[in-house]
Amino acid sequence: MVSISKAEKAYIQSSLQSDPPLRADGRGLIDFRTIALESGIAPIANGSARISIGRNAQDGGGGTEVVAAAKLEVESVGDGEGVDGGRVVCSVSCSPTAYPLLSPNALDDLQHDMTSVLNATLSHPTIRPKNLGILPGRKSWLLNLDVIVFSDAGNIFDAIFMAARAALWDTKVPRTKSVQYRAKKSDRSDATQAMDMDVDEMAHVGSALDTRQTIQVADFELPDYWDEGEPLDGRQTWPVCLTLNLLPTLQFLDATLQEEASVPLKLLVFYSFQSDTTPLLRGMRLLGTGVSDLVQVKSLLKDGEKYARNVWVALEGKLKDEDLRRNQKARERFLNR
Amino acid sequence: MAQSANDRRRINGPEESFPPIFDDDGEDIKLKMQRSRAPGDIRPIFLQPGLISQANGSAYIETEKTKIACAVYGPRQSKTTTYSEKGRLNVEVKFAPFSCTRRRAPMRDAEDRSIGVAIHQAIVSSIRLELFPKSTIDVFITIIENDGIEGCIASGSLAASTALADAGIEMLGLVASCSAAIVGDDIQLDPSEAEARASSGTVILACMPALDSITSIWQSGQVSADLSLKVILSD
Repeated sequence: MVSISKAEKAYIQSSLQSDPPLRADGRGLIDFRTIALESGIAPIANGSARISIGRNAQDGGGGTEVVAAAKLEVESVGDGEGVDGGRVVCSVSCSPTAYPLLSPNALDDLQHDMTSVLNATLSHPTIRPKNLGILPGRKSWLLNLDVIVFSDAGNIFDAIFMAARAALWDTKVPRTKSVQYRAKKSDRSDATQAMDMDVDEMAHVGSALDTRQTIQVADFELPDYWDEGEPLDGRQTWPVCLTLNLLPTLQFLDATLQEEASVPLKLLVFYSFQSDTTPLLRGMRLLGTGVSDLVQVKSLLKDGEKYARNVWVALEGKLKDEDLRRNQKARERFLNR
Repeated sequence: MAQSANDRRRINGPEESFPPIFDDDGEDIKLKMQRSRAPGDIRPIFLQPGLISQANGSAYIETEKTKIACAVYGPRQSKTTTYSEKGRLNVEVKFAPFSCTRRRAPMRDAEDRSIGVAIHQAIVSSIRLELFPKSTIDVFITIIENDGIEGCIASGSLAASTALADAGIEMLGLVASCSAAIVGDDIQLDPSEAEARASSGTVILACMPALDSITSIWQSGQVSADLSLKVILSD
């Protein structure tokens, strides 16, 4: 988003390509900046997380800041866009503070592009959690995942996907109990007796309480209170994003804004790693004005998988820590008060 | 979108409308799902440049039920006052209101934009934009009939590239683009909407065969890395 001069561009490119490669902040080519993650930051949402990449240790400013929150709502299947078994809809909005130089129209376009990448990856039917249905064929949960970009200091896609993954990991789906309307036993026996005996009583048989021929109409209720519920099914399958910034001869990770502006091409790969199965590629995008070729893509995918696995492992560890902190440890703290 | 709800210059139709529901018998659906061609075959392509006379270059493409018209205007002076050293490529995609099974209101929506971005990505690196400082090349794509987003992006890129060539704009090579769907372990090239919906993942690849280089990869859904490479190879 930042525009830099030709001289700056050449300077950054040549220092990246020098041996050893040099980056302005002293990192190696595949080093990330520090990543801070906190989940459960929005008490009203069903799941939420905030992530920042490369925040200054001294003053806490100057990093990429992204907040993601998931909110569930009940949707009827059939009318409108509702799908049996629930669906996930993602949106990304960019705060104007993140891109002060962009016009409102350009900002709109930008958040559209980010939304379409996020949506194509996370809303795909193959990744839909199985516990979003409520009443088969009638009601289901609509999971709205909203991501807000508060500031962008480079590597925005990785940050968005990490925040999204953390928020979805944190999401709890309220338990539901199906309810059925049924007339009281005594009523029904009354009615049948009436049929047998007396014609005058037919009016009673046809009353609203008669449930003999109605289908098993069911509604649902929420047995739990507040934020109780089960985590989303298959929450370990949500992918992580890895942005490979490509110069003709090398690739590097976690680019700052200036570095982003000086590379012609980047490849986004979305990987999910489940225990002891082959890693799944859940999406891939080539962005930028440069070109690539088959050999390069092949090697990029191999490297990308390796790096993405590192990101995945670190994120998984942190998310488990967060779970501990917010549940078990919080409870202990409360008891030992 | 920050656009107001209604475009008052048009007849907007009723506030709410629903597509008619037909009695689809199962056989009909099954027929539709069945592919009449081999997995490695694509639909026949009809491609004709120069159909829109007032444009600098144009092309019309038809692959069975996907019909797309594309017009190129420019290079012409950028409307924005800011100086740009390289030319700008502007791709705009519009769906005709009657292009889908459900009527599409004649307003820009998110899907238009994402297809536009995909086509832009596919063709931008083939054009020698450094030759056109301060100017813009506008590519307008109208989707007359839509049979799957994948097909639209692939044929749209092809049509756009042809139209650019028709306009005499200097390029490094023509862009060819193809989509593929993964159904089970099979790779089906050039899927229609129904086929893409039944698949577990789709890949759209655009390349310049002349230079043997890839300009765009657009993959979504669940694919193992090896398979995805195989898909790219078979594209």
